[in-house]
Amino acid sequence: MTATAATPKVDKPIRSKKDGAVLRALKSPSFARLLFPLAFLAVWWAVYYTIDSRIFPPPQQVLGFMWDEITLNSLLRYGSVRNNVYGMFAISLARLGIGFVIAMVIGTIIGLAMGLSKAVDAFFHDWIMAILAMPALVWALFLGLALGFGHVGPIIAVALTGLPFVVINVREGVRNTPKDLFDMARSFQVPQKRVIQHVLLPSLAPFMFAAMRYGFAIGWKGLVITEVFASDEGAGWTIKFWYDAHRAHGVIGYALFFILFALFLERTIFERLERRTFKWRPKLSGIDVVEDALGSDTQDEKDFRILERSRAKFEGLDTNGSEKRRG
Amino acid sequence: MEVRNGVAEILVRNLHKEFGIGDDRVVALEDVNLDVEGHVFVSIVGPSGCGKSTLLNILTDIETPSSGSVKITQDGREANSGYVFQAARLLPWRSVLDNLLFVQEDRTEEAKARCQRYLDMVQLGDKGDKYPGELSGGMQQRVGIARAFSIEPDVLFMDEPFSHLDAITARSLRRELHSMWHQTGKTVLFVTHDVGEAVELSNRILVFAKGGRLQDDIEIDLPFPRDPSDEAVAVAKARVLKKFEELDLIAT
Repeated sequence: MTATAATPKVDKPIRSKKDGAVLRALKSPSFARLLFPLAFLAVWWAVYYTIDSRIFPPPQQVLGFMWDEITLNSLLRYGSVRNNVYGMFAISLARLGIGFVIAMVIGTIIGLAMGLSKAVDAFFHDWIMAILAMPALVWALFLGLALGFGHVGPIIAVALTGLPFVVINVREGVRNTPKDLFDMARSFQVPQKRVIQHVLLPSLAPFMFAAMRYGFAIGWKGLVITEVFASDEGAGWTIKFWYDAHRAHGVIGYALFFILFALFLERTIFERLERRTFKWRPKLSGIDVVEDALGSDTQDEKDFRILERSRAKFEGLDTNGSEKRRG
Repeated sequence: MEVRNGVAEILVRNLHKEFGIGDDRVVALEDVNLDVEGHVFVSIVGPSGCGKSTLLNILTDIETPSSGSVKITQDGREANSGYVFQAARLLPWRSVLDNLLFVQEDRTEEAKARCQRYLDMVQLGDKGDKYPGELSGGMQQRVGIARAFSIEPDVLFMDEPFSHLDAITARSLRRELHSMWHQTGKTVLFVTHDVGEAVELSNRILVFAKGGRLQDDIEIDLPFPRDPSDEAVAVAKARVLKKFEELDLIAT
């Protein structure tokens, strides 16, 4: 084994260089991203032709419906306001935005207090868990009964479903503030205001981001359910409209609108904001490391790579050393 | 760098520090008295848990003493101090240059130029816009050293700054530190558990024992720069180590 190990070591890099370009393109994340919707459509069609149901719509029917809605070719106007798809989403977005801000503000205050005081933490802990455990459906039904059909119910539903995630993340953020850095700032007599701006807020930022993402995604779900049960307008309500009309393509079409819209917001707002805020983070991610290890064919090759990497690291250090000696 | 006029002075009187209460009470420092004056490099050595770091934390206001007093002056006024920590303690979300600017009294162009000068001094002049995560451990520690020097402190405190680094990097950083100390004429208080390091760098070595008592004050009267392989340096190191052995016997 040890005697022949040298041969594959020489051969393999050459072979992988040959089909490297094609293989790399096929393995690339952007190709995988493109591939997913196609695979999804294929499965959809397969299911459609297999079960042969008159209720389950084929993708082209749903996509055609969605296209008609977007281009306003369908003459339907929804709800008490007789609005189209854009109007319905605008109503939902406004409710989501207001509820989300309420969840962020209240959640941040409670989370800060819970992070700073063990007594406050004990006071709220079970309540937060209770809200977390409560199904959004119960909020929807209760709010519908209590407040009737209007804007207030859905807004409260968004705030309540999002709140626990904000509280928990902010609390963790406060508990994880870097004491070392605060001590450093103190020993250098850095003014309080600068410490808040350059130490406290940046250290909280990752947790605030997590709070926003979860609060938003969960609040979005809570909103849809509440609009289905306790509203006569909004994007969630339109799903119920098509359900009542017994049109599956409408239900699926609007569900897809929801998913696409959430993805759109995630890509345009959260990802960009995150990239800008966290550009200081080291580039290497866990996924890269795993893929790298899987990419090598033999244990020999893996060992060799690790060895190479640590050698490069060591040489990097050594260069610094000789730099100093010269200087 | 110009050598500052005037003399920094560190006065520690009857310093006592303990943590916890009742059965959990731990004495970190017991009745410590200390005078340090002028352009000297003083090392504090001792086993872990002997209160070395606590002393520095009290001197830099991070902790308050249980009783006793500390006073750091320069020409009669209150002196300012820089601190180099065991881990570099850089703000990971700020660039290297911004890390230096963070501790400046005001952020003028002049301050910026000064920060750049000290980055040059630790051979990192071209790394100002990098983030700490993009640097090696040794480079990060050099940024920490540049940060402490960049406020041009009267006194410099260092808490085992090289203990996390590999031997080669630590060695070259020690040389760098020595030449910076030599050029700038600061008063340095340097905590270490490495006797060789202490002998290589210092004029004076303070030996602490468990329980936070200052046991000995050894003068190392050898010319700089000192080579660890030099016979006189090796003899001095052996002398301090022997002292250590004696003290350990006393401690148990």
